[in-house]
Amino acid sequence: MRGVPRVARQMIELENVSKTYGGHAALSNVSLKVERGDMAFITGPSGAGKTTLFKLLYLAEKPDEGTITIAGCNAADLKSSSIPLVRRNIGVVFQDFKLLNNKTVYDNIALTLRIRGFMEREIKERVHSVLKMVNLRHKVDNYPLTLSGGEQQRITIARSIVGEPTVMLADEPTGNLDEENEKEIMRIFKQINTKGTTILIATHNRALYKNTARKVFFLEGGILKGEEE
Amino acid sequence: MFSLRLALQSVIKEKWMSLLSMLSIGVMLFILVSVAVIVYNVEKLTARLPERLTVMVILKDGVTSEENKAVLAAIKAEPTVKVVTFVSKEKALDELRRSLKKDDFILKGFADNPLFDSFDVKIKSEGVRVEDVKRLIQKIKSMKAVDDVEYGEALMDSVYALKSGLRALGLSIGIVFVCSVTFICYTTVKILFYRHKEEIEVYKLLGATRWFVRAPFFIEGSIIGIFGGVMGSGMLMGFYYYFLRKLVADIPMFAFMSIPVQFMYMLPAVGMLLGLGGSVLALGRLKY
Ligand SMILES: Nc1ncnc2c1ncn2[C@@H]1O[C@H](COP(=O)(O)OP(=O)(O)OP(=O)(O)O)[C@@H](O)[C@H]1O
Ligand SMILES: [Mg+2]
Repeated sequence: MRGVPRVARQMIELENVSKTYGGHAALSNVSLKVERGDMAFITGPSGAGKTTLFKLLYLAEKPDEGTITIAGCNAADLKSSSIPLVRRNIGVVFQDFKLLNNKTVYDNIALTLRIRGFMEREIKERVHSVLKMVNLRHKVDNYPLTLSGGEQQRITIARSIVGEPTVMLADEPTGNLDEENEKEIMRIFKQINTKGTTILIATHNRALYKNTARKVFFLEGGILKGEEE
Repeated sequence: MFSLRLALQSVIKEKWMSLLSMLSIGVMLFILVSVAVIVYNVEKLTARLPERLTVMVILKDGVTSEENKAVLAAIKAEPTVKVVTFVSKEKALDELRRSLKKDDFILKGFADNPLFDSFDVKIKSEGVRVEDVKRLIQKIKSMKAVDDVEYGEALMDSVYALKSGLRALGLSIGIVFVCSVTFICYTTVKILFYRHKEEIEVYKLLGATRWFVRAPFFIEGSIIGIFGGVMGSGMLMGFYYYFLRKLVADIPMFAFMSIPVQFMYMLPAVGMLLGLGGSVLALGRLKY
């Protein structure tokens, strides 16, 4: 039956998805699946369509063709009033961070929880705990623009995991990080993955996936060129 | 709670714009309430007008006491009439003497009593319209024993014309200013909204509902409206203390002017409603 969410094994599924921007195909006929509890990578050159794919997944854009399933919901069937509720299950590390520069690190991270109506006490606890995970506890009262690129990136990661999402979409999460921090971040991802969160990571960085026995999707010019276990 | 905090922060951050909006709303609400005060006072002043007007029914000379009684009974039977008193020409002369006091030598020139028998008819104060009074007067005039009826016809007519004109004027000014206040709130909230557009975009991506995004703006519009109303009340109070009191002191004729206290409380509430209305309109069509 349509509309009744099947308890899908697939946390993320695209079927023949195409997306065109003013005549330019950012994604053409892409089909891929990521199963519940998996950690998968998506890679490809700049302009391959990775970010576009993520935008479709966190419901900021609509596909021209094809169907998208995320966290058990068919994106096309969603009413606009239930989009926020689906998004609360998705933690996103935005490639451009999307931190609010007029708010402190604390408030940026807390926002995710305030939106969900958490009590301030629990918010405080959780924010401090994720800041500890990304080693930025001492920057809690700083404003984003006073932080280095790598620090901003780690704040973004902290914000994406503070709500304990069922799916994480990380767009180039280590783009600004040194090797040390990169390892640390991957360790965090693995940790929350073992707790059951499905993770999809977009990256140019071969080092992130080359030694993992994980699924890797190769995207080029909006076309899925292959996948590897 | 968080929405309230956001709204307050925003009002404080954009204090000049907020203040300017509040001030213009305050001025407009002040004008609005001034019109209301004028209408209110005129209504109050004229509400008892028929009561104050005494209709004097002048009887013909040489009317018998039977005829006299018949007229009295007929007038008494009218539903709009409160009291009828008979004033004999002797009594009228007495009264005239008393009011002239030392100048009563004027009356010495008359050998006879120059006055006439009459009835003083007082109209009921509640629920009597001008038309009713006019009809009554026509009726009395047509009685055989009645010579003439005197009442403040011209005064009453012009007062009532003024009153209905004033009501219409008050209503149209009211509508114009209510719309203007709503429009100011609408514009302010819209500007604030566009200033926060990027922020709102992020809110949405993090899973904020429509309501969560809008509530701070509704609150902000209401706050601006409330403070506009408070400023309007302040101006009204200032007007009362510094202007009206002096005016009354100089020209006692204006002593009847009063400003109902409810207007002072009502103004912030009206401001809030209009502010809320303006912000609902401002965000109504947006997809956020
Ligand atoms: N809003 C948009 N309007 C027009 N074209 C767009 C838009 N967004 C993306 N594109 C185009 O779609 C293509 C894919 O862009 P996308 O951002 O998905 O690439 P990417 O794989 O994330 O690249 P990178 O690795 O550099 O981040 C690009 O050619 C880009 O110019
Ligand atoms: Mg990208």
